[in-house]
Amino acid sequence: MSEEATTVRRLGRVERLPTRRIVLTALSLGVGAAVAYGSYRTLTLPAGARYSGSAWRDFLVLGIAQGAVYALIALGYTLVYGILRMINFAHGEVFMAGAFGSFFFADAWKESGFLDRRPLLAVLLLVLIAMAVSVTVAVLLERIAYRPLRGAPRLVPLITAIGASLFLQNTFRGLFGAQTRGYPKPRVLEGTWSILGIPVQRVQVIVLVVAGVALIALTLVVARTKTGKAMRAAAQDQEIASLMGIDVDRVIVTTFVVGGMLAGIAGVLFALTFGNISYFMGFAPGITAFTAAVLGGIGSIAGAAVGGLIIGVLQSVGPALLLTGIHVPSPFQLKDVVTFLILILVLLFRPGGILGTGEAEKV
Amino acid sequence: MRGALRPGARAGLVGGAVLVYLALVGMLVKFEELRLVGSQVTRGRLLLVLPPFAASFFAVRPRVIGGRVEQPGPGVALALGAVAGALVGAVGSVGLALVEAIGVERIRPVFVAVSPALVETLTFGRGAAAGAAILVVGGAALGAAGGIWRAIRHGLRRPVEVGLLTVVTLAMLQRIVPFMLDELRLERDWLYSRATRGLTWTGAVVVLVVATAAAAYVLDRRERRALAPAAEGRPEVRGWRRTALVTIAVVLAAALPQLAGSIVSEIMGTVGVFLLLALGLNIVTGYAGMLHLGFSAFFLIGAYAVALLTGANLVTAFGLVAPRFSADLNFYLALVLVVAIGAAVGALVAAPVLRLRGDYLAIVTLAFAQIAVILATSSWLQPITGGPQGLRDVTKAPLLGLEFRSAERFYYLVLAFCVLAVFVSWRLAWSRVGRAWNAMREDEQVADAMGVPTGRYKMLGFAIGGAIGALGGALFAVKVGTVQPGSFEIIQSITVLAVVILGGLGSVPGVVLGALVLLALPGLLSQLEEFRFLIYGAVLVAIMILRPQGLIPNVRRMRELREEERTQDAWQQIFAARQEREAAEEAAEAAP
Repeated sequence: MSEEATTVRRLGRVERLPTRRIVLTALSLGVGAAVAYGSYRTLTLPAGARYSGSAWRDFLVLGIAQGAVYALIALGYTLVYGILRMINFAHGEVFMAGAFGSFFFADAWKESGFLDRRPLLAVLLLVLIAMAVSVTVAVLLERIAYRPLRGAPRLVPLITAIGASLFLQNTFRGLFGAQTRGYPKPRVLEGTWSILGIPVQRVQVIVLVVAGVALIALTLVVARTKTGKAMRAAAQDQEIASLMGIDVDRVIVTTFVVGGMLAGIAGVLFALTFGNISYFMGFAPGITAFTAAVLGGIGSIAGAAVGGLIIGVLQSVGPALLLTGIHVPSPFQLKDVVTFLILILVLLFRPGGILGTGEAEKV
Repeated sequence: MRGALRPGARAGLVGGAVLVYLALVGMLVKFEELRLVGSQVTRGRLLLVLPPFAASFFAVRPRVIGGRVEQPGPGVALALGAVAGALVGAVGSVGLALVEAIGVERIRPVFVAVSPALVETLTFGRGAAAGAAILVVGGAALGAAGGIWRAIRHGLRRPVEVGLLTVVTLAMLQRIVPFMLDELRLERDWLYSRATRGLTWTGAVVVLVVATAAAAYVLDRRERRALAPAAEGRPEVRGWRRTALVTIAVVLAAALPQLAGSIVSEIMGTVGVFLLLALGLNIVTGYAGMLHLGFSAFFLIGAYAVALLTGANLVTAFGLVAPRFSADLNFYLALVLVVAIGAAVGALVAAPVLRLRGDYLAIVTLAFAQIAVILATSSWLQPITGGPQGLRDVTKAPLLGLEFRSAERFYYLVLAFCVLAVFVSWRLAWSRVGRAWNAMREDEQVADAMGVPTGRYKMLGFAIGGAIGALGGALFAVKVGTVQPGSFEIIQSITVLAVVILGGLGSVPGVVLGALVLLALPGLLSQLEEFRFLIYGAVLVAIMILRPQGLIPNVRRMRELREEERTQDAWQQIFAARQEREAAEEAAEAAP
């Protein structure tokens, strides 16, 4: 018996050669050291070259505001992934569609003065229009591109989603032209408001309020309503859910509707924050938000919110903090590198994400 | 009756939506100018005719009702088709009426494609009311034609379809085929008109008849052979025939620059570069089954590596400067290094992420590719990569005093490497490595359990794919002469993916065909360039839904499918025999 046990133990040891763990540990130490070194050098720069405290505060606020937008988009990925186990690569385009759809109204209202006279009502209406457009695109996407592929091997819907993303981008390009357009802002939202003694860009305040309301509303819907219950059930097990009398197809459509609504809101908020829209605007925020969803733990609603905020802050603070000290010119060109590195590192070390189960399902 | 017409109504509405989409996205107007046959058939009109025809074609499709396939009879087909077609026209007319009511100038700032030219196309220049009437009546007629067409027996319909497709293809290739005929000193005025540049009516009819007859002959033979019992052992592809086909292909490919001139050589050079990339991706995704969304990274690495190794210069405000790190090697020596670098990068990138599930792996590869582009563009690496301006004066790949910059010569250079890559892919597919990949693709856990070291084979796949991709990048740099980060955006990865998917994952002839269709056609057909990516996107979605195995499926997969069919046939035969026996027994019992 003892002999057998030793053999088994030996075999076990042979099989679990810790190369991978050694590589990962070395990698994490290296990343940690680089981050620490970069931050140290930046924070100990001579007084003239250093960022002031208020600059850091501005980075942080901008980070939180754009993080809120990312969180809204990330929810779309997370909800769909939770139910269909597919990466809806075209979700960035759903977001773009919302921003684009509301643009023409915003532009016309700026011209007519409505946007400046009744800013609150106008922004609310813009958000509603964007939601309607995004929801339409999301539902069509589900109906035409994804539904025929239920039950197909996993990579098939992903490839379809990539195709749909390209198709949507170029559709909007064909319909509305290729140029970048300036998204008008109500005059009231220019300048800053002082909150707790800190001057904050007014647009960012609006972004935070709207995003916060949307997040709370979504949480309530998922936690308290019957629809939400059905969504959670379908996410756990589609087959069993359908046996319990839940119309899974309808739940999936609902999921796309909810994701589209959030993406539409995000579209308007993003356009108000950055002031520009184009047919290609969905790509980078889309990938960033996907990263946020993975970071927070894909499938988890709270995870998407947390992940979005972390990514937003890291994108706005990270390049300045890590790269200025080691004299990298124009560090903000590299902000997407920060995102992608986080994505890779999260998938390497904790594929389940921060609030996820810790262990990613395999195969 | 109302219920019976419902499929027609649905198809008609969808077809109408497609028509409106084509109009709004700008295709109808852009395609109007090219004359295909005579001066009447233009590409825009062909596009206009398609929605009602296709809508009714789908409306009349055979349906499975109560476990049996039911094909609507000719009368029903006619009615259904007419309803569908008329609805397509009606939707179009409603759109026209809206445009008329609101006014073209007021719509144009939003929908940029709505122009007087579009209205002119849709109303055939006869005013709104007459235009709407033409749309509805014409739609109904086309729909009826489509419905009847569907009701015709498959064996009759197919050859004519092939014939029509041949006519359209020849008409679309009007910039090349006449040129080739001239080079061959063949009389061509009966086929291509010099005035419209498209086919003449006589030419079109002759081509239609010949192509239809040929297709009928080939299809008939194929069908008869397919019906022959499997026991006779029909070979998959006969040896001499394959040799002949390959020989013809090689001779054609070699003679192309002489026949078709430098525009075609130029286009085919690009096709060759992308074919290399696609062959590389085919190994990673088609053979080994790992979706790679960042293949443009290898393209980028190959191009920059060859530029830096052969002494290209940076573009700066102070003129041309040598980059901070560079060497001045012979191109072919550098090429060996580039291939090695590509393989190394492929394996290194793959190593840490091998354990990830397929879709996560895909996203990580995308992330790596994005990082590569951002770094190449950044000011940080500007002293090496040249930032957004990139590098200039890439080597012309001199070999024994010959330089490969001109389109014709570059074509031969890239052709040589493509042949090499095709050969490598083909040999790999049937090697031990290829079988291991195959096992891994079909079921990773089973392959693992069977003793295939999946991690190692995954890395090998990434390395070989990366090497071929980097080779493509290096040749691209030689072709263009400059290297700029804008050429290696993520869209290139998706283009290559579309090539492989359209052709058929894991199928080398498929990949070649895919590259020809997706890259040569947009170059050869004028004005398609603008809608290239739109079409790629649509192709990816449509192929995945309608024909996931691609245009020319992987032979091995095809064989597996056939095996399945045969087993099914066998089961059915046994089942039928048993039923017959039981029926006979029952009859025997019933008879006293």
